Amino acid sequence: MKRVLLVAVLVFAVVMLFAQAPKRGGTLYDYFTIDRMTFDAQEDTTLQTYALARLLFSTLVRYKGETLELEPELLAKMPEISEDGRVYTFELKKGIKFHDGKTELTSDDVKFTIERMLSPKGRGASKWLFEPILGAEEFIKGQSTSLEGFKKIDNYKFQIILKEAYAPFLYHLAVPGASIYSEKLVKAAGDNWKLNPVGTGPFKLKRHVPNTEIVLERNPYYFEKDLPYLDGIVFRIVPDSTTALMEFEAGTLDVVTIPVLEYDRLKKSGKYNIIEKEALNTYYFLMNMSDPKWSNPTLRKAMALAINKKELAEAVFGPRATVATSFVTPGIPGSHPLGEGPAYEYNPEEAKKLVAQLGNIGKVTAWQWGGDTLSQPNIIIQAMAKEVGIDLEIIPIERAAFRQARREGKVPAAYGNWWADIPDPDNYIGVFFGEGNQMSSGYNNKEVQEMIKKARVEVDPEKRAQMYREIEYKIIREDVAVIPLFHLKYLLATQKNVHGIIAHPTGITVYLYVYKQ
Amino acid sequence: MIQYIVRRLLYSIPVIIGVTLITFILLNVVPGDPVLEMVGKYADPETIQQIREQLGLNDPLVVQYLRFLFNLLRGDLGKSFKTNLPVSKMIADTFPTTLKLALSSYLVATVLGVSVGIISAVKQYSFLDRSMMILALAGVSAPVFWVAVVAQLVFGLKLGWFPISGYYSFKHMILPAIVLGTRFAASIARYTRSALLDVIRQDYIRTARAKGLPERRVIFVHALKNAMIPVVTILGMQLSGLLTGSILTETVFAIPGLGRLSVWALSERDFPLVQGTVVFTAIVYILGNLIVDVSYAFLNPRVRLK
Repeated sequence: MKRVLLVAVLVFAVVMLFAQAPKRGGTLYDYFTIDRMTFDAQEDTTLQTYALARLLFSTLVRYKGETLELEPELLAKMPEISEDGRVYTFELKKGIKFHDGKTELTSDDVKFTIERMLSPKGRGASKWLFEPILGAEEFIKGQSTSLEGFKKIDNYKFQIILKEAYAPFLYHLAVPGASIYSEKLVKAAGDNWKLNPVGTGPFKLKRHVPNTEIVLERNPYYFEKDLPYLDGIVFRIVPDSTTALMEFEAGTLDVVTIPVLEYDRLKKSGKYNIIEKEALNTYYFLMNMSDPKWSNPTLRKAMALAINKKELAEAVFGPRATVATSFVTPGIPGSHPLGEGPAYEYNPEEAKKLVAQLGNIGKVTAWQWGGDTLSQPNIIIQAMAKEVGIDLEIIPIERAAFRQARREGKVPAAYGNWWADIPDPDNYIGVFFGEGNQMSSGYNNKEVQEMIKKARVEVDPEKRAQMYREIEYKIIREDVAVIPLFHLKYLLATQKNVHGIIAHPTGITVYLYVYKQ
Repeated sequence: MIQYIVRRLLYSIPVIIGVTLITFILLNVVPGDPVLEMVGKYADPETIQQIREQLGLNDPLVVQYLRFLFNLLRGDLGKSFKTNLPVSKMIADTFPTTLKLALSSYLVATVLGVSVGIISAVKQYSFLDRSMMILALAGVSAPVFWVAVVAQLVFGLKLGWFPISGYYSFKHMILPAIVLGTRFAASIARYTRSALLDVIRQDYIRTARAKGLPERRVIFVHALKNAMIPVVTILGMQLSGLLTGSILTETVFAIPGLGRLSVWALSERDFPLVQGTVVFTAIVYILGNLIVDVSYAFLNPRVRLK
């Protein structure tokens, strides 16, 4: 009897093992809401182009699974970093082939990629990724023709020398905008490159029908054994989210971003896999400290006390939102733990007292990013402000116009969101409040801006983290330059037979390990 | 007739130039830098400057406009800022899709609208007339995206008769054509009904009936031809509208047509593509109106084209 039981258990275990093992083959059907009409991640910085770049190209390092920890991708091992934190020595894996199956990846391609991004004649939109490199500034300005901080050792080994120590540099190399291109293939393609990408990624472009679909197929030369599992991925272009949900429920799409209102219904149906994942983002209300009215700290503090974040978050995003107490998303080194940040809590009575102190300041203005009518969050923010006596007028401004005004520092105040590119506090604090920032914060506390500069180059991780926590305290608690509202989670649903999708905190879906059972 | 057509075509040249000029001025007056739209959130001032130079956006506006006009005369609409592809190719790639959708929904609209209009007029004040006119009123009033979503839900998701969205086969075109066509059918039905009622009351119809002609002949041969003149005007205007893309229908049904291309071009501030789609739209409208005017002469010989 015991033997029979043992055999049964063994058989069950084997069956379970095979049931769980990734199955090779099949096509995944996913969608984008817009066709960006380019595959060049140096030129287009949207999450969509980045998601495609992760499939078509590879980066030197990448995030390990769902974590924020880095691991080598094109590299044979993690780079060696000199003691002063300035010199990085890299070694590429040997024998990596581009999609054409002939061109091999070498150190020259890495140099070409970096110089292409920084080129004064190019359209590299993310020069910041390589700006910490020695000589980058001169190269961008066209004062040099070769990047001083890049030293080729041989075909597979090279060094990158930074201007000054900068701890998050390796994160820059994991951003899809830093995908490595082939010098030979890019030059051969010329102007056609952006629509005919050839990379080293797990998939290659099979077909692109503008505004209809992007079809990828497995790269037979992919350098990681047995990966990817899928034969291909079809991204349909479905601009309307309701249509996408119907396609998903009809089984013609395998993945869908869950609209907030449908979350409960989809989850309760039990028919789908639901993926909920924290992501590196903060939704905020930013007040321009150089604006004539918002420059008043009492007004900014009153506004911070007036917003009931919990109510706002629940009303707008339901289960997707977590109330924010800090601007830097929790989980990032140097951030405040969730719920322990320095942001003011909702206190309408205190806000009313401050408004009374302000006297008659009349109407204050904020802008809305696009739209014809006010968005739900803005309607709620406006109502909450009114409740404490702030007459807040919110004006919808066309997106392109908003973007231009933001760059010129002319947006008075706005509800907005920030999805970080790298898990580093500098990507929040430096971008919004650093000297010469282009986010229309009008931030002008010179002492804090000096602190930001120092924290940026600090080598000791512990000390650096502490410095950023202090800076954030000053910005949010003392200067009340921004009101953190909430953080959003990813909410994805997949068909039951789809496994292995990783919703990475950086906002990019990882398809490398996806399989259909 | 040919002289008339040629003259109308010549008149359209200043119209097209006017349209391009207004579009050009509007694009340059409305805030929003095309280069910022192109390079995204992180681009530094040097990059922006370099790209502006490459695209010729630093030239004086007069130079930019004359360059566009000169190229237009040679049939060159320029290259899209965003994709580097020739604008004419991008329009040529999307127009057949819009054309198919337009013609199929037009067919639905005309057949359904004219038939309902005739029945309603002939059976005026009957239960059938009243219910069809209520339905037509509902059809005109209901927002197209709402009708589209309901159609997708019922015929796509629940019944599974048609694909929910996409543009892959003839089957994919049926639902959007019905949605778009039904909406236009509603207004055509109302126009046909009132035009036919006007005509039916005229003396020559009474004479025809008095002669003992069968009612069917009276309606279809004598009344309908004259009643169609206002209907043809509406049909012509709607055809031009349909041919330049139905943005909402194309969005909800994920159809890669001219409407979506135009909106995309505008949101990306892709100046050459915006100019190209606007010129193309103007030409379609001009030709559409010309066809309508010419068709008057066929329907009613009293209309002389001079």
